[in-house]
Amino acid sequence: MYRVHDRLIRHCAVVSILALCAAVPASAQSSGSRGTLTGTVLDPVGKPAGKVTVQAQSADGQTTQRATTETTGRYVIGGLPFGVYNVTVTVPGLKAFERKGVSVQAASTSLDIRLEEGSQLSTLGEDPLGIAADRARRAPPSGPTPRTADGKPDFSGVWWAPTVVDPGKPEWLPDAQQVAARRQANNRKDSPQVRCLPSAVLRRGPLVQFVQSKEVLIEITDDDSPGFHQIYLARSHPKEQDPLWYGDSVARWDGDTLVVDRNNFLDEVWLDQDAHPHSDKLHVIERYRRRDLGHMDVEITVDDPGVLARPWTFTRASELAPKEEIREFICNENNSDLPHLIDK
Amino acid sequence: MRNHWSTAAMVVALCVGAHAPAWAHHSFAAEFDVNKPVTLMGTVTKLAWTNPHAHIYMDVKDASGKAVPWDLELGSPNALIRRGWSGRTLKAGDVITVSGYLAKDGSHLANARSVTLSDGRTVFAGSSLDAGSAQ
Repeated sequence: MYRVHDRLIRHCAVVSILALCAAVPASAQSSGSRGTLTGTVLDPVGKPAGKVTVQAQSADGQTTQRATTETTGRYVIGGLPFGVYNVTVTVPGLKAFERKGVSVQAASTSLDIRLEEGSQLSTLGEDPLGIAADRARRAPPSGPTPRTADGKPDFSGVWWAPTVVDPGKPEWLPDAQQVAARRQANNRKDSPQVRCLPSAVLRRGPLVQFVQSKEVLIEITDDDSPGFHQIYLARSHPKEQDPLWYGDSVARWDGDTLVVDRNNFLDEVWLDQDAHPHSDKLHVIERYRRRDLGHMDVEITVDDPGVLARPWTFTRASELAPKEEIREFICNENNSDLPHLIDK
Repeated sequence: MRNHWSTAAMVVALCVGAHAPAWAHHSFAAEFDVNKPVTLMGTVTKLAWTNPHAHIYMDVKDASGKAVPWDLELGSPNALIRRGWSGRTLKAGDVITVSGYLAKDGSHLANARSVTLSDGRTVFAGSSLDAGSAQ
C-alpha cells in the first residue's frame, strides 16, 4: 500500500545510540539567553551524512529551527532560545533519529548523531541513497490535464509510486490484525512476492506506467509480477469468474474522475504492505483524477467486512515521471533468495 | 588499498529497533543480519544483472589463502539503472571491497551496501542523502 519510504518515515523506530549531549561553555558567540546546537551526523557506516536536515523543536512546540549538514556531516543550529529541545533527523530508508530532552542552556551545546540502518532496506539500489536519488529526480511538469480524443482525461504516462496523503483510519478486526502481526513477525518470509507472485492488492511502484485506450487502462509496474494489471473501461464485472490475483477491475467515468471497481480476488494475495489479509468479501473502489499534467490523485476505499470493522478510505498522490522508462522485470530470472530466508 | 586479498569481518553491535515494514522483493530482515556487518575484499568472477536482484559473485581468500566464492546481493536492475549503473559497471577480474551484512543462515552470502574498487573509487554509490530530508 504505502510507498516504501513513506512507510519508513511513518513507522521508523526512535533511535538513541551514539548520541553525545554535553553542554560546553563557549565564549565568543554567547548572546544572552540564546545558544547554538552543533554536532556531526554520520550515516550507518560512519561516513558523514551530507545534506541531511537536523531539526530542533522546543518542548513546548513554540520554536522550530533546522539546519542542513555540510559535506563533513557538521551542522549548526544557531540562535536557539535557552530551553529543552526535541532533535530529529529523518532520512528515508534509515531509522528516524529522535533525541528528546536536549537541554540548550549555554552558548554551545554538542549533539553528535549516528544514524542507523532501516531494518528492511539496506541494499544498494534499495538503500537510503537510492531513495534520496529517486526523490531528487522528481520534477513533475506543469501544464493542463491531457485528454484523449473523446475529451476524457488521459492517465497515460510513467508515474512515481504514490505517496500517502491521508492514511485514513482502518479499523482492523482482531483476526486480521493477528494474521498481519504473525506475517510481520515472520519477516514476511511467506509473502507471495518472495516467490515472484504479485505482492499486494494495494501496492504500487516504485514506478508505474499507465497505458490508456477507450476500452482498457493497463497498469505496468517495475518490480512486481506479472508486472501488468488490466482495468476494463467498456464492460462490467462478469457474473461468474474464477478469482484473480489483482481482482477483476472495471471502470466508469464520473465526470473527469475514473472510478475503478475491483472485486473477486484470489485468497493467496495479501491486501497491503502491512501484510494484512483479505476475505472473499473484498471490494476496492479507486477514484483516479489527473489534477494536471504532472499530478494524479487517487482516493481508495477498501470495503471488506471480513477484515475491517467498516470501510477504510485513504488518499494517495503521484507525480509524473516523464524521463523514466520501465524496464522488464522477470522475477524468476534469478530468484535465489528463497533458500536463505529465515522467519525469525 | 593493498594489493592482496583478505577477508576482514567487522562486527559492530548495533541497537536493533522495531522493524519498519518497508518492502522490497523480500524483507531485509528475513535474509540478512543487521547485527553482522562485514567487509570483504576479493576478485569479481561475475556481475549477474538479473532480477529480482543483481548479484556480484566474487572469490575471497580465507585465512588459509584458499579462494572462497561469495555471493553479494544488490538491488534490482531497475533500481540500479536509475542510479546510472549497468551490467558493465563491474567486470570479472576487478578487485573490489564490499561492505554489507551477512546472511542469517551462515552461508557465503551478504548484501552489498557499498562497493569500492582497488584504486579507491567507489562504485554503486550515490552522492548524498540530501533529497531524503522530509521536511
